Amino acid sequence: MVIAALVSFGILLVAWIMAPDEGAARPAIAAQENTEAIPLAA
Amino acid sequence: MPQIDTGDTAWVLTSSALVMLMTPGLALFYGGLVRRKNVLSTIMHSFFILGLVSVTWVLWGYTLAFGPDTGLGLIGGLDWLALEGVTGDPSDTYATTIPHLLFMAFQMMFAIITPALITGAFAERKRFKAFVLFAVAWSTFVYAPIAHWVWSPDGWLFQLGVLDFAGGTVVHLSSGIAALVAALFIGRRTGLIEPATEPHDVPMTVLGAGLLWFGWFGFNAGSALGANGLAATAFVTTNTAAAMAAITWVTISWLHKGTPSVLGAAIGAVAGLVAITPAAGFVTPAASVLIGLGVGVVCYGAAQLRLRARVDDALDVFAVHGVGGAFGAIATGLFATTAVNAAGFDGLLNGSPGQLVIQLIAVAAVGLYSAVVTGTILFLVNLVTPIRVAGDVEETGLDLAQHGEVAYQP
Repeated sequence: MVIAALVSFGILLVAWIMAPDEGAARPAIAAQENTEAIPLAA
Repeated sequence: MPQIDTGDTAWVLTSSALVMLMTPGLALFYGGLVRRKNVLSTIMHSFFILGLVSVTWVLWGYTLAFGPDTGLGLIGGLDWLALEGVTGDPSDTYATTIPHLLFMAFQMMFAIITPALITGAFAERKRFKAFVLFAVAWSTFVYAPIAHWVWSPDGWLFQLGVLDFAGGTVVHLSSGIAALVAALFIGRRTGLIEPATEPHDVPMTVLGAGLLWFGWFGFNAGSALGANGLAATAFVTTNTAAAMAAITWVTISWLHKGTPSVLGAAIGAVAGLVAITPAAGFVTPAASVLIGLGVGVVCYGAAQLRLRARVDDALDVFAVHGVGGAFGAIATGLFATTAVNAAGFDGLLNGSPGQLVIQLIAVAAVGLYSAVVTGTILFLVNLVTPIRVAGDVEETGLDLAQHGEVAYQP
């Protein structure tokens, strides 16, 4: 059980290292920038 | 044979919950101090650590900090890995009138808030992934060993006779020094004229300070580990020092800048709470007034010096927790008296100058160790993933760029 608990945390640790950085949020940034651009274009 | 006392157990259960509340309180305290584009990321640092360190503490943190010593007084062994052998029965060593599991849980809350304190130094520019890796490593390689040194009966500083009632060195000095190292490593924020805070929500910060003050009764009075007179002493000294430091800070800022700062009242109270932490169960209420006064002056000065030095410790973690923690540890060496706590020692003003020397050794050892290991961890994490976010991300704000969410709708 102890080993299983340690391994389960280890899996999360690996997932954090492999997880995307802010790259995944880039579309959200772009969307916000587009939204902000609308009043200027109008 | 240790036996459970229901009153002690009820108080430490309550205290554990109080200390737990301090971390969300810290999230609000820090969250109000940053710009509105970074409030969620700042809150997330504390909230994520609440989850992260809860798990690492159960798995390996507790045994490293409080497990049977490996021989040199530096670190605990792995006997209690994943809390094997830690049960609802009292420990033979720690808090022998409450369940061992409860002592572990109480200590866990301290382990949680300590790395969360550091996050104020790198607010508004730290990559979340780097933060997560840093938090795991720091709580393992900095917090656990220092807790062992000071609070394990086999720890080398404990053996030397250091007095640290609730974590002036273990929690505040260690995190304050780490914050300074982190601020120097990561560099100054962009978009600020000078490395000062631009609080977006002062009421949020004051609410956070209020929750910290409330939770601190568990932190300090709970460290008596029983429902007794010592807990009452720690409760009173804690409140008195916080109050004195708050009104001192406000007074200084009033004289210095012309206005009695609300933010100053909140930060001053926290500085007072920090300074009384190592002393709470060793000094008289009268001494706690002097500790509150002294730390209000010293930490205000440290914050002004930090601004002049242009070190962007964004939320003054070093000035409040590093300097305040060191001040409190030294003040304990001055004011401690066995009249308050027979299990402690007398300080310089009660005829024992050697205690002050021991306190100074502890401050130097904890500060140096925290600085060196924190720097090493930051260097290694930076090899895995850059500590600092890209310039455009910092400009956009970490809430949207790192978390894909915003705190406030336009």
